[in-house]
Amino acid sequence: MSTADVFAILRGLPWTVALTLGAFLAGAVLGMPLVAARQSRILPLRIVAMVLIQIVRGIPPILWLFIIFFGLGMSVFPISPFNAALAGLGLIAAANMAEIYRGALASIHFGQWEASSALNLGRWSTLTDVVAPQAFRVALPSAASYLIGLMKETAVASTIGVSELAFQGNQLSQLTFRGLEVFALVGMFYILLSLPVAWLSRVADSYLQAKVAR
Amino acid sequence: MDGAVLHLGSGKPTMTEDDALAAKRMPSAKGRARKPLIKLDKLSKHYGNHTVLDGIDLEVMPGEVLAIIGPSGSGKSTLLRCINYLEPPDGGHVTIGDISLNAAAPAGRSELSTLRRSVGMVFQSFNLFPHMTVLRNVSLAQERVLGRSRRNADDRSMQLLKRVGLADKAQQYPGRCSGGQQQRIAIARALALDPEVMLFDEPTSALDPELGLEVLAVMRELAETGMTMIVVTHEMSFAENVSDTVMIMADGKIIEKGPSADVMRNPQQERTKRFLRAVHDR
Repeated sequence: MSTADVFAILRGLPWTVALTLGAFLAGAVLGMPLVAARQSRILPLRIVAMVLIQIVRGIPPILWLFIIFFGLGMSVFPISPFNAALAGLGLIAAANMAEIYRGALASIHFGQWEASSALNLGRWSTLTDVVAPQAFRVALPSAASYLIGLMKETAVASTIGVSELAFQGNQLSQLTFRGLEVFALVGMFYILLSLPVAWLSRVADSYLQAKVAR
Repeated sequence: MDGAVLHLGSGKPTMTEDDALAAKRMPSAKGRARKPLIKLDKLSKHYGNHTVLDGIDLEVMPGEVLAIIGPSGSGKSTLLRCINYLEPPDGGHVTIGDISLNAAAPAGRSELSTLRRSVGMVFQSFNLFPHMTVLRNVSLAQERVLGRSRRNADDRSMQLLKRVGLADKAQQYPGRCSGGQQQRIAIARALALDPEVMLFDEPTSALDPELGLEVLAVMRELAETGMTMIVVTHEMSFAENVSDTVMIMADGKIIEKGPSADVMRNPQQERTKRFLRAVHDR
């Protein structure tokens, strides 16, 4: 395979990275109000959030992209392949991050809430000063492994024509008829992308752990 | 126990002159017509069909140290937690100073906040915030609740940490401290909000006896400064030697209550005698 071929695949890299980070960021942010609703004292809100999370997580990602791009995009509002993929994956990430947050919150010892109440800290302070920083640490490893999962998931965007890594690989394999080499190379790029995430997560975790040694 | 308390080594809590002054304790509440600081009327609490508190009437005078003892499941911890509404009682009244809450009506957030402002609480499991330094643990609520500046809060925190003998731990994380140290930090944290009364929920039960002593020493000093204290405890020596009043609970009721020497040495009720005998035989 020539260097030109490698560069052809590399053209997909920025799209994969943009899609991964964009969807993860959207999920990390939107997951917060979603988990708040999921844990709300108001029953209807709780039910709506629960149903929403179930629906989003229950439908395969590829179907979500088809619904948004071919469904909504063709009939309701025109949307570019990239934006459709970003919206779909962002939605899925939000539901998954909400579940990750929920698990992290559940792991906080009830004594932390009680101490906060006894100290008369308000609800906001209890959340931002006491609970969230601890929950963040708990959520970090699961969030990092979800980020890697999401990165691989972005390959489905190739089905609606986003020219990310898998898309470029597919194009090239059809041009060169050397599918094995091409897709092996594509696979290597995915691995290379996941390494720094795994490494960063481990560094961050051991830093936090050292600080809060129990 | 006195001997042990005096020889705590480097961790020995020290009293400031202010505290020593305040230690000129008002003569104990007995026989004086003063207004109780805490008053519980017919306080009750149920979990489903199970009655945990069965119409508790109780008065605690300013400066009084009350020890609550009794078998487990007698409702003593629940009683303590109902006083600051960590567990809302479902019948009766809680009065602290000028604030009175009717348990039959749901408590508003501002009412709760006013009530809790005058009550400090120390837990069996310390419940320090593990992700903050010791100093931050003590300062946080001062800033958030009392609106003190960071510097004023930290000054006050250092003062209190010195008082419990842990000024040198200020920049450590709680995980690096022993259980006894953590509990002393928790006491400093509660005192930092200048409460009128301190509640202790089995403060030494999670500690081995030696570490328990350093906590008890701090509590004894606190009692000597005239702090009003309600202490749920299994430490009979604390009940007998430090507290003014002892109350025995069983099955959600008060079995016996009186001056600590009387109750501990000459109990009147058969249930009390049985409990004290069981404790002494151990």
